[in-house]
Amino acid sequence: MEEYREEELTLPAEPMLLHMGPSHPAMHGTVRCVVKLDGETVVGSDVQIGYLHRGFEKECEWGTWTQVFPYTDRLNYASPLLNNIGYALAVEKLLGLQVPARCQYIRVILGELARICDHSVCSAAMAMELGAFTVFLYLVKAREWIFDILEEVTGARVTHAFCRIGGLRWDLPENFADRVRSVLPKSLEAIHECEQLLLRNRIFMDRTMGVGTITPERALAWGWTGPCLRSTGVAYDVRKAHPYLVYEDLDFDIPVGSQGDNYDRFVCRLEEIRQSARIVMQALDKLPDGPIAVPDDTGILLPQKLETYTTIERTIQHFKIIMEGIQVPPGEVYSYSEAANGELGFYLVSNGSGKPWKCRVRPPCFANVQALSELTRGRLLPDIIPTFGSINMIGGECDR
Amino acid sequence: MTTFFVVATAAKLVLFLVGIITCGALMVWVERRMSAMIQDRIGPVRANAGPFRLWGLVHIAADGLKMMIKEDFIPRRADKLLHALAPMLAIFPVLVTFAVVPFGPTIDFGHLGSVNHLGPLFEGRWATTLQVAQVDVGLLFVLAIAGTGVVGAVIAGAASDNRYSLLGSLRAASQLVSYEVTLGLSLVGCVLVFGTLRLEDMVLWQHHHTWGVVVQPLGFVLFLAAAIAESKRTPFDLPEGESEIVAGYFVEYSGMKFAAFYLGELMEIGVLACFLAVFFFGGWDVPFLRADGIHLSLPMLGAKFWAMPHWSVVLLQLGAFGLKVCGLIFLQMAIRWTLPRMRYDQLMELGWKAILPLSLANVAVTAVVLHALR
Amino acid sequence: MPYVVKRPERDIWEQSYIPETVRGMGVTLRHFFRNVIGRRDTVTILYPEVQRPYPPRFRGLHRLTQRDDGSPRCTACMCCQTACPAECIHIVAGSYPDGHPLAFVEKYPAEFWIDELRCVFCGLCVEACPCDAIRMDTGLHARPVEARPHLMYERNLLLSITDAKGDVLTANPRKK
Repeated sequence: MEEYREEELTLPAEPMLLHMGPSHPAMHGTVRCVVKLDGETVVGSDVQIGYLHRGFEKECEWGTWTQVFPYTDRLNYASPLLNNIGYALAVEKLLGLQVPARCQYIRVILGELARICDHSVCSAAMAMELGAFTVFLYLVKAREWIFDILEEVTGARVTHAFCRIGGLRWDLPENFADRVRSVLPKSLEAIHECEQLLLRNRIFMDRTMGVGTITPERALAWGWTGPCLRSTGVAYDVRKAHPYLVYEDLDFDIPVGSQGDNYDRFVCRLEEIRQSARIVMQALDKLPDGPIAVPDDTGILLPQKLETYTTIERTIQHFKIIMEGIQVPPGEVYSYSEAANGELGFYLVSNGSGKPWKCRVRPPCFANVQALSELTRGRLLPDIIPTFGSINMIGGECDR
Repeated sequence: MTTFFVVATAAKLVLFLVGIITCGALMVWVERRMSAMIQDRIGPVRANAGPFRLWGLVHIAADGLKMMIKEDFIPRRADKLLHALAPMLAIFPVLVTFAVVPFGPTIDFGHLGSVNHLGPLFEGRWATTLQVAQVDVGLLFVLAIAGTGVVGAVIAGAASDNRYSLLGSLRAASQLVSYEVTLGLSLVGCVLVFGTLRLEDMVLWQHHHTWGVVVQPLGFVLFLAAAIAESKRTPFDLPEGESEIVAGYFVEYSGMKFAAFYLGELMEIGVLACFLAVFFFGGWDVPFLRADGIHLSLPMLGAKFWAMPHWSVVLLQLGAFGLKVCGLIFLQMAIRWTLPRMRYDQLMELGWKAILPLSLANVAVTAVVLHALR
Repeated sequence: MPYVVKRPERDIWEQSYIPETVRGMGVTLRHFFRNVIGRRDTVTILYPEVQRPYPPRFRGLHRLTQRDDGSPRCTACMCCQTACPAECIHIVAGSYPDGHPLAFVEKYPAEFWIDELRCVFCGLCVEACPCDAIRMDTGLHARPVEARPHLMYERNLLLSITDAKGDVLTANPRKK
């Protein structure tokens, strides 16, 4: 067929502008893609974020260091505990504080459980948007059981607000280890069923393989991290590259992809669920006894409740922490950890008052979602959906 | 034309129309309930009639009432006439194609109690065939009417003044037209084997010989694929594709107009199940059951025969047809809740590069084999 | 160690659609028949009729604990109001007159408002209370109401709410 240029024709066809979102089933209500369509081919797309902007960073400057925890729950609301941990680690780094071993192990266990939740809900949403509704509900079921455990530990299903600077809100409940050991295999079984339904199904392979492909170089250039980067073959995981907490003592592998397409991202997430389950099981075996927080006399954590009720010294200490906030020495710090979507960074500046002077978040999916426009250009309209799904843009984190 | 003929036809027509619309409504329930059971949910049981929940069956009535009292919204810049016409055009082929489905053999009201020695199809003073219209070109009629299904979808999309609808109707047009070809071609094998276009004679052939799925297994698979594509359900639900183009061509419809599309689609599952049963599963045929009773010829026991009165044979055969249709509806639903959605270009590739050549090959092979056997 | 995830080969098994569809239907229909014929294995519950017991740590609606004589434990110290990140607590302090049996605690909440619509249920107020006066162990969640004021909980209502076991008292041993 002879090549022709549209604009040279007598009656050129104009591309159609389609506003996908924010109220579009696949856009989660938090993002808008303005796509320019030639038929169904995407000529160009403009990804507009910010629909879930709440002024997180400014809110943090208002509250004390402790009051930031409920806000961090709402960053990546699919895995709030990982944000809790990331923020706690950042403030502890600024304080030069090392939390006790038991606390570190508990953080690892809960963090990995949260990662399992996040990866399953991301894979679930992606599958649902491809029309596999059954897979969505199986994966959500797997997450539901883990949510039950997290609720028993933290007292809330999503908005845990569980970490504290220098420790945790509570120790684990008594039957925690047994609950996890019984529930995790059930969840993995549900995930296995989804793999049976999708991974070798040709329709799913056609929809995801070779779609949304990105090279490792481009991914790094965009600042990608997390499962999305690893799907391109770059084995960068903060837990391995810059170990924090007790990840060094635990044995786990990093699943990487080879093509960097949607299929690799999907499979990488499911594999990471397996690795996280491995970490949880090991950490449960190794879980040491001991305190879950730094000692009271550091003036970081609130004193023991019974002592607060009965002694005036502890009451005064309690009041000082509540009314003035934790005294963090002036300085600045950048701390990063591996959240579900990649490297979650907190850049904190303290001026010595009880409140953060600045709290900047490096949300992993902000970097990831930048590439969406590039990934979908020249492809078909339906390809936007799995690509967007596998990037796992979480509005709370991206827009802050 | 006797009075009995007119009365019988009118009765069949009314019975059938009521039947299909009930069937469409029931399908809503089946779809919800079945998906719930597959997905480990309870499903909808909230609506109740006093203390009775009836496993969610009351929802059908609740939905119907809701659809009726909902605002009938028409976009400001939509073409009002076409917007109103489209749902009717979409539901029309479904209702009409039902007319030629032979859902049972001839029933003779004069000899209900006696043993029938005339065979399944015969004529008599008080006899009528359980089929609304006996059309000589039955199969062609079905394909011709089914082909008009695309019109409703296209008009709906074009008249709605919505870009998602437009994309949906474009997809619907190309998909339905492409799969129309295969839908017909995959049945040519059957026509060659059965040697007739009349649906009732097709069933008769299967009644005397063997079921269509045995002689045309490939034809069955191809027709099933094309049929699901025609009814626009997952994995071929691109014209609707709710996560891509929201609801496709009927995104701007509400109230009873939406219900027409929705029910039309669900009734189409029923129609297709009927046709699958007629073409490939022997229609009302029950193995070993002849018009006069059960004929068994087992290698050990030799030939056995039990005579049965006419009414019980017809009842059994009607029941068999219903059972087959239910099973095929179940199959279509199970496929819908298992598979993800295809992409537009992949769908076209599947249609034109895989299913079409395969159905042509099926026709050729069938023809050659039939010629060799003659 | 990094390892590369599997990508299935595309041979006739996958390319012909049918075997994998049948395998997938095996999974879905197994669930279907288990739920229809065998033991019902649903994850969802019929909510208002069937209620899931909340775990002991569940942070629900607030309550104010009482002393033995039924007066509020709260001394209107404003800790919870300060610690609340959502600013949903409003306290007006009053003081017991001289000669009152509770004059030794000096202050009490003349008004105590919690806007349960604003509350984010983070539990920081409970943690911040130095005398175990405010708790969230009621095992109740904020149910939908018809008007906003219905979820503005005031002092006496908060005092009347019990914990999940029906207790109104507190763990604070000081000066009962």
